[in-house]
Amino acid sequence: MANVRPRKISRKATGGDAVFENGARAVGASVLLITGGVGVFLAWQAYPTLERYGWSFFTESQWQPDQDVIGIAAVLVGTFSVAMVAMAFAVPLSILMALYISEYAPARFRSSLVALIDLMAAVPSIVYGLWGFFLIMPYAAELALWLQRYLGWIPIFDVANTDPNAAVWDTTRYVASAFCAGIAVAMMVMPMACAVMRQVFSQTPDGEKEAALALGATRWGMVTSVVLPFGRGGIIGGTMLGLGRALGETIAVVLIVSPAFEIKPRILEVGTTTVSSLIAGRFGEASSSQLSALLAAGFVLFVITLLVNTVASVVVNRSRSGAGTDA
Amino acid sequence: MNRRALLRPAVRSAIALTLAFATLLTQPGTASATVYAQIEGTGSTWSELIVQQWIADVDANGMKVVYTGGGSSKGRKDFSQNSTDFAISEIPYQGTDETGQADTSNGREFAYLPIVAGGTAFTYQLKIGNDLVRNLRLSGETIAKIFTNQITNWNDAAITADNNGRTFPSLPITPVVRSDGSGTTAQFTTWLDSEFPSIWRPFFGGSGLTSYYPKESGSRAIGQAGSDQVMNTISGFAGNGTIGYVEYSYPVNKDYPVVKVLNKSGYFVEPTQYNVAVALTKAKINQDKGSALYLTQILDGVYRNTDARAYPISSYSYMVIPTGADDPRMTTAKRQTIADFLYYSLCAGQTKAGPYGYSPLPLNLVQAGFEQIALLQQADSAVDLTDRDVRSCNNPTFDGKNLNKNQLAAIAPAPAACDKQGEGPCGTETGNNEPSTDGSGGGTTPDGGETGAGGASPAGGGAGSGAAGAGSGAPGGSAPPPVVDPATGAVVGGTSTGAATGDAIYANPTELAADRALDTRTFGWLAALLAVGLVVMPGFYAASLPRRRKPGTVR
Repeated sequence: MANVRPRKISRKATGGDAVFENGARAVGASVLLITGGVGVFLAWQAYPTLERYGWSFFTESQWQPDQDVIGIAAVLVGTFSVAMVAMAFAVPLSILMALYISEYAPARFRSSLVALIDLMAAVPSIVYGLWGFFLIMPYAAELALWLQRYLGWIPIFDVANTDPNAAVWDTTRYVASAFCAGIAVAMMVMPMACAVMRQVFSQTPDGEKEAALALGATRWGMVTSVVLPFGRGGIIGGTMLGLGRALGETIAVVLIVSPAFEIKPRILEVGTTTVSSLIAGRFGEASSSQLSALLAAGFVLFVITLLVNTVASVVVNRSRSGAGTDA
Repeated sequence: MNRRALLRPAVRSAIALTLAFATLLTQPGTASATVYAQIEGTGSTWSELIVQQWIADVDANGMKVVYTGGGSSKGRKDFSQNSTDFAISEIPYQGTDETGQADTSNGREFAYLPIVAGGTAFTYQLKIGNDLVRNLRLSGETIAKIFTNQITNWNDAAITADNNGRTFPSLPITPVVRSDGSGTTAQFTTWLDSEFPSIWRPFFGGSGLTSYYPKESGSRAIGQAGSDQVMNTISGFAGNGTIGYVEYSYPVNKDYPVVKVLNKSGYFVEPTQYNVAVALTKAKINQDKGSALYLTQILDGVYRNTDARAYPISSYSYMVIPTGADDPRMTTAKRQTIADFLYYSLCAGQTKAGPYGYSPLPLNLVQAGFEQIALLQQADSAVDLTDRDVRSCNNPTFDGKNLNKNQLAAIAPAPAACDKQGEGPCGTETGNNEPSTDGSGGGTTPDGGETGAGGASPAGGGAGSGAAGAGSGAPGGSAPPPVVDPATGAVVGGTSTGAATGDAIYANPTELAADRALDTRTFGWLAALLAVGLVVMPGFYAASLPRRRKPGTVR
């Protein structure tokens, strides 16, 4: 009797709980392991290239493996210009769409709209590529001509060596550009960004929204004074997540752009290239040293995407606290 | 019951076996009893169209062949990494290139074997008004200068001279080149390097061929991966002013025009099966069986073939087959599939070459190809190659009696008189796989011989030169004056409405100074300034008025 002692209180899981806990931990760790493994593999493969070319790998714009000239300056510029065009189309679209779904849409349509947007995310990349190439490019070229004609004095809307007012417009200059590819990529980025934004908008406390309406705000007034400040983190996070995806889009870009290795800010002009489209286009015929160069480019993209996504998730996480409304 | 159920499959398989043997004995080679296995290959897009057709043809015989283009460089690479069963490439393994990158089979044993001939064509989109120009002619030098950015406008004097004084609109030329490692590029640059080294080498910065076309940054050239992408770009909505190089079958397939290229005897010719066959009679084939490059081609003689019917940039395409006895990917079934697929391709398949925009192989190469196929049997004695006679092939180049004669080259029609340098140009269309000739041109070389001979002199070509010019080849001056839109300077199309007329489109476009960029800009700024002034001036005016507010007024 005297031996009876209270059970030792422990937070350590036992039995089935322990199995589950450790199992879950292992699975969770495997995600880190895989991502880390990809990074380590890319870095390992990229090392010979980076060692051989040094800094010139980042400053050289030409990619001519058969002449031993390799660099990703132009490729990185192209990657960012395609991504920026995509964001310019996708961000306004997804903010407005998320706002409409969460604030304006009749309740019975809401779920089907959400499903449709998710469906857009499920359409394969190559379909968007074909859509962009055959359906959108002719119109995008005319839009590009219009932009050059009236906004050509802004460097990014310039198209070198061509006269927008020529009798027969030089169509070849306005197609297969970062602009055309960006439009197709925007359609792929939009659902993802929209989903994040919609989720954050829908977390806006009803009390504050009703308070705004009770104080006499219109619905738009309520959106601007409550929903948007509350969802600011979501907007930034969704944009960054979309940017992460836009940077890595491959097949649609391969189909649309004509590869050109030039550093050019002129997004409307024919020819550009992105890291992922470079890898997809050159992978098949690469010798081992060329493969290393391609993987080095992939490594750079990996690091950039990792940074962008990390920043995005940090921003999204902070916004969950609703910190935006305190401001 | 049980026993019968057990017996039945045995009986059935016995019957099947007997039947199989029976068919094997009666029809070796085509027998359904032959065991096939799927074979896969990658490589050239130059010859892809005909290969895909052959694949579709043999599919009914139970042979499953999967072929994916992607460029000759990729084909050779995949083969060397043991990831494919065969490769198709225009050029052989290069050993090591100038930068020391390896281009070898990585130790895998292989043999080259020619599968089809063809011409590297230059297809273009050039519109006058709304009508496509379909009878452009260019000399080799002009082509070389176009692709090295020395000639950049369609109204260039060199192009006008090639077309006997016919002027094209002022439109920048956009060369479309291959962006991937390509055998077509290799063929084209081999020709450039051999014929126009003074133009090509400074541009390339080296000598010899390259599989990767050097695209100068800042130039107008557009890169595209794969022959079909090049063709799509040229024939696409934005293709006006483009020119690119692809195998003749691509424009034929799309019904798109090709450039008639000037040959050494002063005729502008199109790469039809006849002209290619004639040109290739001068191809030098490596006949050294001990050489690693056995059967590969040296084309200098083709480029300089003096026959009036020869298309200069003609070449053969090669398949690379694995011949090692211990090849890691090969099985008897796979070897048999390769052998039978090639047997069909080299034999019956060659009849399709012409209609598809290629040119059939001559007999000596088919024979050599058969010998290469026999290497598969050497590697594996279970491969069945019985009853395969070259002579039974229904190949249009074969003459039943004379093995050395290339029948196709012998019957090739002489070029039309309006195709001669300084004549014409002919109004007939290109890219439709029909030879441009004056009536019956056959029989210009009475007994041919291996070389095809240069007997097809213009005078010998059936109809006289005077008669030829009358119908179609009216020179630019005598054509009705084109209608020119006064506002834009563009030529209004409409004189030749249908392609069926066969008339060429003629125009001498003039550029009108309807719109000067400087004017637009100047007046644009002026207008903007005025608008700003209108908005801002009243405000300034109001502000400049003296204050009238009385002191002491309640605010």
